[in-house]
Amino acid sequence: MKNMKKVAAAVLGVCMAASLMACGSSAATENAAPAETAAAEKTAAESTDSSAAVTCVDDLPGKIIGVQLGTTGDIYASDYEAEGSTIERYNKGADAIQALKQGKLDCVIIDNQPAQAFVEKNDDLKILDEEFAVEDYAICISKDNAELTESINGALAELKAEGILDSIIGNYIGDDTKGQSPYVSPEGVDRSNGTLTMATNAAFEPYEFYDGDKIVGIDADMAQAVCDKLGYELQIEDMEFDSIINAVQSGKADIGVAGMTVTQDRLTSVDFTDPYTTAKQVIIVRK
Amino acid sequence: MSDFQLKFYTNFIKEDRYMYLLKGLGNTLIITLFAVVIGVVLGFLVAIIRSTYAKTGRLKLLNALCGIYLTVIRGTPMMIQLMIMFYVVFVSSNNKILVAVIAFGINSGAYVAEIVRSGIMSIDQGQFEAGRSLGFSYPQTMWYIIMPQAFKNVLPALANEFIVLLKETSICGYIGLMDLTRGGDIIRSRTYEAFMPLIAVAIIYLIMVVGLTALVGKLERRLRASER
Repeated sequence: MKNMKKVAAAVLGVCMAASLMACGSSAATENAAPAETAAAEKTAAESTDSSAAVTCVDDLPGKIIGVQLGTTGDIYASDYEAEGSTIERYNKGADAIQALKQGKLDCVIIDNQPAQAFVEKNDDLKILDEEFAVEDYAICISKDNAELTESINGALAELKAEGILDSIIGNYIGDDTKGQSPYVSPEGVDRSNGTLTMATNAAFEPYEFYDGDKIVGIDADMAQAVCDKLGYELQIEDMEFDSIINAVQSGKADIGVAGMTVTQDRLTSVDFTDPYTTAKQVIIVRK
Repeated sequence: MSDFQLKFYTNFIKEDRYMYLLKGLGNTLIITLFAVVIGVVLGFLVAIIRSTYAKTGRLKLLNALCGIYLTVIRGTPMMIQLMIMFYVVFVSSNNKILVAVIAFGINSGAYVAEIVRSGIMSIDQGQFEAGRSLGFSYPQTMWYIIMPQAFKNVLPALANEFIVLLKETSICGYIGLMDLTRGGDIIRSRTYEAFMPLIAVAIIYLIMVVGLTALVGKLERRLRASER
């Protein structure tokens, strides 16, 4: 009993000191489990202290930044490692968001669209007005398959001209257009060209995510539309994001569609089609 | 050959990428080392409690607790346990290595406990009776007569458990902790080449396991010297 009191007193003391020092900054220690040891409380308090909140891109040096492994957010943020930032690489964006909510990170750098979805579901998070980077999304295809790249580029151009691409994107993004224009394959499509395997990482709303046991999203619908144009049967394979390029290179998948940004590094390993949309990398912080 | 050299250069030398492997290796070793210590301590304690209950009927409550511990830990995947530790139990702690050490230590303890218990139970009942009739107390019999024999019997199985533990730390990436596997993954996500980083990581694990096996083999031979 006596020991318990001592621990409780120590915890209280640390909490009070922390809240005094961090006056004004958000205290993440509030939701800490009461059963935590004093030591754990202390580390948490220290990590919140060092995080004089991130308010713009210039604040990033020295902070703990959460990213999804292998994304462009990861690659760009890694440049800050030299400036004393710690980059925590998670398998899923959602894991990084979880860690941010628990005060383990100072901010998360992630694509704008999933960021919107995360912030919508978490009242305690917000997106900074200043974007981190702007980028093009495209489909990646093996360098040995230039023919497919060509034909997909043709299909994409047609889809753009017919306004189908815009309607697919509008179906997932934008408050007024959401759910208004679901993509439906035209009747009687000839699928004699065989199966086209698409590698993706279905944890990236609204580009690809699970709805029940089906993978849906902008990329899934767009790939379906491309297959309808070219006469393929679409088959979607879910895998870790950082495995997608390997899968495409080794022929395990024909195309990689996963909200993937065209970068110089990636271009040395795979080919990309013309971009089908642009996106922003944004910074999410606690309110 | 120059292609091989170029790949080696881009995967390991360029931008100091080998540092990912080195740092990861360090973390893997730290986690394994401390988890083994926690696992051995926990495992021996649980094994002694369980076999004491089996032999004498004492420590009923502790035995029941140990039973629950074994059921829960052995009945759930390590990865889930690690995630629970990081996202549920130690919500406010940002010390990933500590969280991983505790999670792997607790997990390993359950397996070590059953290994050690099998060793204790394999010692003939006559050894106990001989010890007690010589005037040894129960703990003394355990410590001076049973444990030395049991330890020798379980050493191969124990070494196996540590090898499994060392390799199982490769799931640390799930909590964003950079261990050896995650180090290789990071390189892979930068160079988009599977071969070099994966093979390198595999070779490093293999070297560690071979080293560990050799050490245990040496220890086994030393312990067997008393048999002649």
